[in-house]
Parts: sequence; structure tokens; C-alpha cells
Amino acid sequence: MPMKIGSNDFKDRVEEGINDSFMRKAVAGAQERMGSRRQDAADQLGNWEDWRSHGEEIRQHVLEHLDYYLKELSDNIASRGGHVFFAQTPAEANEYIKNVVESKGAKKVVKSKSMVTEEINLNSYLEEAGCEVTETDLGEYILQVDDHDPPSHIVVPALHKNKEQIRDVFTEKLGYQKTEKPEELAAHARAVLRQKFLEADIGITGCNFAVAETGSFCLVTNEGNADLVTALPKTQITVMGMERIVPTFVELEVLVSLLTRSAVGQKLTSYITVLTGPREQNEADGPEEFHLVIVDNGRSNILGSEFQSILQCIRCGACINACPVYRHIGGHSYGSIYSGPIGAVLTPLLGGYEENKELPYASTLCGACTEVCPVKIPLHGLLLKHREQIVEKEGKAPISEKLAMKAFGLGAASPFLYKLGTKMAPTAMNPFVSGNTISKGPGPLKAWTEIREFPAPHKERFRDWFKNREKDGDA
Amino acid sequence: MKVALFATCLVDLFQSNVGKATVELLEHLGCEVEFPESQVCCGQPAYNSGYLKESKEAMKRMIETFLDAEYIVSPSGSCIAMFREYPHIFKGDPEWEPKAIKVAEKSFELTEFIVDVLKVEDVGAAFDASVTYHTSCHMTRLLGVRKAPMVLLKNVKGLRFTELPGKEQCCGFGGTFSVKMAQISEQMVDEKVCHIEETEAEYLIGADAGCLMNIGGRIQRKGKPIKVLHIAEILNSR
Amino acid sequence: MTGSITNREKFLNQISSQLGRQPITGKVERPVWRFQPQKEVLKNASQDELLTILKDQCLNIHTSLYITDKNNLSAVLKNEIEAYGGSVLAGKDNRFKEWGLDFLLNSEIEFEEWDYTQGRENILRAERAGIGLVVSELTLAESGTIVLYADKDKGRMVSFLPENLIALIPKSSLVPRMTQAAEQMRSEHLKGNQVSSCVQFITGPSNSADIELNLVVGVHGPVRATYIVINDL
Repeated sequence: MPMKIGSNDFKDRVEEGINDSFMRKAVAGAQERMGSRRQDAADQLGNWEDWRSHGEEIRQHVLEHLDYYLKELSDNIASRGGHVFFAQTPAEANEYIKNVVESKGAKKVVKSKSMVTEEINLNSYLEEAGCEVTETDLGEYILQVDDHDPPSHIVVPALHKNKEQIRDVFTEKLGYQKTEKPEELAAHARAVLRQKFLEADIGITGCNFAVAETGSFCLVTNEGNADLVTALPKTQITVMGMERIVPTFVELEVLVSLLTRSAVGQKLTSYITVLTGPREQNEADGPEEFHLVIVDNGRSNILGSEFQSILQCIRCGACINACPVYRHIGGHSYGSIYSGPIGAVLTPLLGGYEENKELPYASTLCGACTEVCPVKIPLHGLLLKHREQIVEKEGKAPISEKLAMKAFGLGAASPFLYKLGTKMAPTAMNPFVSGNTISKGPGPLKAWTEIREFPAPHKERFRDWFKNREKDGDA
Repeated sequence: MKVALFATCLVDLFQSNVGKATVELLEHLGCEVEFPESQVCCGQPAYNSGYLKESKEAMKRMIETFLDAEYIVSPSGSCIAMFREYPHIFKGDPEWEPKAIKVAEKSFELTEFIVDVLKVEDVGAAFDASVTYHTSCHMTRLLGVRKAPMVLLKNVKGLRFTELPGKEQCCGFGGTFSVKMAQISEQMVDEKVCHIEETEAEYLIGADAGCLMNIGGRIQRKGKPIKVLHIAEILNSR
Repeated sequence: MTGSITNREKFLNQISSQLGRQPITGKVERPVWRFQPQKEVLKNASQDELLTILKDQCLNIHTSLYITDKNNLSAVLKNEIEAYGGSVLAGKDNRFKEWGLDFLLNSEIEFEEWDYTQGRENILRAERAGIGLVVSELTLAESGTIVLYADKDKGRMVSFLPENLIALIPKSSLVPRMTQAAEQMRSEHLKGNQVSSCVQFITGPSNSADIELNLVVGVHGPVRATYIVINDL
């Protein structure tokens, strides 16, 4: 699965994350800063819940009529002279893009940030075909220079790296000779990348939103790298996940506002660029040829299922910035380019349960993700649905848990058995009790007591106390 | 006013003192408290683990048990949030959906009940100590109860309140998460304990036995001198 | 020239079948949205109020702001150009003459206009220029954003490759927020006027926070930005 990153074992990845003290400090700091900026940006509007509801209704409407809007979009792009390719699989998308590149005899590709091209592993595909592919978003560029270190956050991909590490990578790979000051590092990247932009034959971008009515699409950045990618090379290829579409400019604007406020707490980012087709006759910049590749890659299977709402996602990362689990384990632990709550929901859908069965359990269901989602995806509810799937349809739950839950079903359903069970608890737990706590519990309690004390069951249950009290006429 | 008490499993088994305090507090406020004997668990442990079928059995028993109550009150935001979820879970079930709605509509978390139903903001409690308060996730986010516990605590005589840094951050309990994802849970509860220590409060107060068992168990393991109490116990101190 | 569309039918059929229905053949009308909070923002604000909001917002986006009238525009602009230094590149724009910016056109300073007949040479000029000079077609007060529509006389890279950006903002171009720009773009489209191949919404200089979340101003695009509001009302 192309979007997969890191070692195979979830627990190993988590262990590595937990032991990475720089990453954890960076993530905690980022969560606090980005979280509070997001909150301020939402509060400023004074009616954020209405904004969220509007975002939700737009996204729901689009998903329900997705085939219609994709048809409208492609017709309008073609009428402006652009080419549209519908790719059901990553292989189809990659093959088409490679063919375009080869037909141009192109060797140099510049890219602006795109999650879907990470998902289909486009870079390696093009590199194998002999292209030089350069990521131009500063964060992505840093990761690329560092031997393709995977991103750990969908908005701030190099969040897990500190400036000293970045300086060392630049020194080793780019002959950089200055300090670890972010300004100097960025200036160096600017100079190197400016040259790449000017030399590039092909520009590849993602797509924040496409606009069906006009055949346009929109790119949102702060650096402006997408503007260069789409202005300088002669050929432009844009790759979009098939659900990233809105009916008209009117809805585009709402989703852009929700995106920038939720992602980085800005009213708008520095560059929001709406592009339609290739350059017009007599224009001296912009691509002469424009291709849009619309990718399914498992998304259509989500349509019509109980997980459909996950396709409402606009990739703002607000859920990641709010997640207390992500906070401690970082992005790489999720084993996917999509991390945090969105990753825990989306990755098993796109990549299957077999390799991602732990992800739905990597959540306390605290609901922080659901609360901040600008398009009201019930993220923690979807994690719960995954658990149901794993238990009931996939049958992948551990046997011991199944037995325990079966017993729960029987016990909890019967007041008699429930009372009997709770009555027996103190006696059953007796061997493990010292004082009023249990420090080394048996069975499932073991994992609990490795970390914390567990209270010994009270000899007199509450219900006994209540009954006796009634009997004594105390009430 | 007649109140049917939903004690919750954890209180029944491990925290009978919280149950007692809840009964005494409600009676002090003029309620007549009954404890329906046939109550079991709200079904959350199975439900949150993905065992819908098994959890529904428990839910049905609870619905039957509390169907005719005037008010249902529980010292747990999480378990009441589960009750409020019943109508969604039984959606489309002609027999159980209407009953689930009935139960959900008259279910209240303890502090919510005192402030919103009884319209009492000062329960006449006194507690001479410095405290901080952990807002449980289900109570704040799923139930939307944020103000009630604060209002009630503010009016407790002698109580010195310090806000907990990162108060809305999950403590890492999450039911079976605490054992299934123990390595992550440990980091989460450790951060919570650090924040509690920063407040220099003598007591940590909460409104959900699950979170308190998690945080309290970690505090105890680490040998910290912080004491842990349920908000019912504070409000019942005079 | 019409472009190609490949693999569409199978792709869209898969979508409709997953959604449990036949492919849509007729027209889908957008619903009347239940919520439209965007229309309430800065509703009924006067141009003066919008200008105040723009002014405050410029502090957040690392952008200098000057307010002037047509009589003093020349002097203000000249000052700012001298302060930045380097040559100026601008789109071909009749308004420069209208606003009496003769010093630009009389080659008192090094000034070049985008000239599509020169093709890619324009890019190299933009690379060399110290200052990109643009006129904002619409200005979003809430976010401090200028809006540029590219065409043959107004290249995309004028605003982008030079190290400094100066935007002339007619006060009449101020609107509350992106909502009004989107509505205007849509209504032009519905009137049959083709939308520009590139519409740029630019908010201050280029920046990045990708290294330890430290804000670095000036990454790929301009490092500094100045807005000059012209009281044309």
C-alpha cells in the first residue's frame, strides 16, 4: 500500500514515537499554538457553528451528487482546453502522468504539496522513469532532501524535525554553510528552488478544491510555491482526490474560509489561487497545456457506506492538532501519510483493516476531533463504527475479548447475573488486594496495574448500602 | 421530586462513597431518591469496543429499568452521555426507539440536574482546601455540561479553586483504551498528573469515576500527595 | 481548442452505483442552503469602516499601508519605490496614466511593462525586477487581500517574482470579504464573461512556518509588501 510508512508493527512505531522527545515537545507546542489560533479564528466570526453547519451541508450535497459535479467539472475543463483523466487506481493515475511527462520529453518536475500524490506514490514512479522530481513546499522539500523522510502532519509535514536536524541535512546534501536560523535555512531553500522552478518542464500540483461550474480549481498556500509551479513550467498536471469539489465559486469561498481558519488560524492564507484551464492565447506565463487527473483509489467504496461523511474532509488538520493521542505518539506512529483522527478513520478505509487494525483503537473517543472539525465529520463516531466492523464483520477481534464481551452481554442483560457478578468481585479479587488497592492485577487488569493502582472492590457494594439503609429506616 | 439514581458500575463496585454522597446530597436538596435494583451497566464498555449486539442487551435492560422514572440522575457524565446516545442506537427500531427517547430526555448528570432542573447554584457545602478540577471529555463534549460543576464549586465555602492547565485534554482513560493502548494511556495520564501538580492543589476533583480511577491510580502509583474526590463528595461536605 | 476526457463513464457509473442510484442525467440545482453565515460578516459596513478594518489587518500580515489621494499618489508611490530600490515591473494598465503616474511612464525610474509579445522574456524581467507593481481589482477588508485577474497584459508573475510587492488599491475596490469576490466572479461567469485563467488572492508577503513553526516572511514570493490605498471616491 503506497500510503504506508514506517515499520510494520504498530506498537513498535508507537514506542519509537513516545521515545522521540524532540518530536513530542514540538507536537505539543504546535498543538497548543495551532489549536489556540484556530480557536481565535473561529471565535472572531461569532457564529462558528453556523459556518460549520454550512460547510457540512455543502460537502454532503456534493457527495450525494458527486458524479454530476465531476461530469460538469470535466466538461468545463475540456471546453477551456484542459485534458481530464479519470483514474480509478493509483497505477492508472501514475501511468497517465508518466505518459504525459514522456510525451513532452520532460526530465524536470516541480511539485507543490499534494497528499493524493503521496497516496499514489507518484514521486517514486516518476523518479524510476528517470525524472528529477522536486517538492517545493518548504516542509516537503526538507523531507525530500532528507532521503524522503515521510510527512508526520498533513499541514506541517516536517513538524517532527528540529532546525538543527534540518541544518545538518542541508549541509550534508546541499552544501549549505550557514546556521540553523529558520530565516537562513528558508533563504537557502528559496534560492535553490527558484532555479528549479525556472528550469522545470512540468509542474504538478494537488487540488484544494475544484469548482464544477467553471472548470476551475483552487490552490491554498502561504509560501506561494503553487503559484510558481503553475506559472512557469510549460505543462501542468493537477491531481485531485475525486471528492474535492464544490458546485460554484460561492461554495468555494466558504470552504476556503473554513480551511484557512481551521488549518492555521488565518482569515485567508497569503496565496489563494484560482486557476482555469491552460494559459489563454497571448498570455506569457501559465501552462500551455493543462491536465487534471481525478483519482478514486478506494474513495468510491466509501460512498454509500456508513463512512461516507469522511469524504467531507477538507484536509485542514484541525483534528490532528486537537488529538491527545497524536500529541504523544506523533504522526509516524499511524503508519500512514494520513495521521491523527483523520488518518485513523481514513487509512483503514483506503488501505484495509488487515494492516491497520489498531488504528481505530488508538483513540479514547474523547471527541476533541469531532468538536473542531470544520465540516462536522463525526470522527470519533466513525472510529467506533470501525470497531464495530472489526468485531462483527471482519471477526478480527481477539478471542479473549470476544469471550469477555459475550459474558458482558449475558451478564449485563440479566440483572440477576450482573448482581451476582458484582457481588463476587471482592472475593474474586481478594488474592490481589493489598490495603485498598490492587498493584498487580490478573488478566486484563495486568495492563492497567502496570501503570496505575486499581481500587479493590468495596466489600459493601453501593447497592447493598442503599438496601440496608432502607431497611434501617434511615431514608 | 422523585429521582431514580443510576449509580453506574464503577460507583456500585469501587466507589460506594460517591454513591452515598450523591444520595445524601440529593436528599438534602429535597429529592426523594430511589435506586432501581434491576439496573445493570449502561453498555458503554461493550459499545465503545465495537460490540454493538452485546451492548444492546444491557441498554434494553436499562431502558426498561428507568422507563417510568420521573428523573434519572447519575454521578457520571460519561454514563449519562451513553443514555443520551440510546435514541441514535435504536433509531428505526419501532419498539425500542420511542422508549430510548423517553429515557434519554429525562436523564441528567448530577451537577447538570442540580443547576438546570433544581435551579440550585449553592448547595450549602463547605470544603476548606485548595482544589483543581478535571473536566471529563464525555461530560463536556458529548453532553455539553461545562458550566454546572463550575457554578456549584464556586459556591462551596472555603474552597480555593485553581484552574487545571489543559483541563479539556483527555486523561487517557477511554475505557478499554487504558489497557489496550496502555503505553499511550500512560503518557496521557502522566501529562495530566503533571498539570495537576502544577496547580499545587491538595485535591483533584472530577465528575466521572472512570477518569478519577485512572488519574487517581496513577497519582497513587507515583506516590504523589494529591487526594482525589468526586464532585458529589465535595458538594456533600458541610 | 477543446481538451480530452478519458475514462469518465466507467468512473462516474461506479460512483452512482455506490450511491445506490442511476447516473444523474438532468440538471442538479444547488439547494437553498440552510446556513449562509458568510453574508453576515461586515454587512452594511461603509467604505470608511472597511478601510479601518483593512488598516488593522495589515498589521497582522506584515504589510505596510499608506492612504493617499490622487493628487499625492505620485509622491507616495515614488517614495516607496525609492525605499525598496531596484527596477519596477508592472502590468500594462491605463490607470497609471489616469492617476497621473507620469514619472513611471516618463522613465524617470527604471520601469518596465509586461509585454506579452516578448513571451518568456517577461519572466526573466520579473526575476530581475526589484519591485512588482499591481493594481488590486477587488480588495478584501477582512483578510487584507488583494485580488488580481491575470490576462495577456497582466502576467501572473508580476506580483510574484520581484522581491517587493506594491499594490495600488482604489478605495472603491474595498469589499467586506472573499464572499463578495466569489459572488462577483460567479455573476460575471453567468453573464457569459469567461473567468480569468488565473485569479490570485494575495494577502501580504509570502511566508512559511514549516521550520519549528517559526514564521519566516518571504519564502518563494515577495519578501516585503506595501499597499497604497487611493481615495477615489
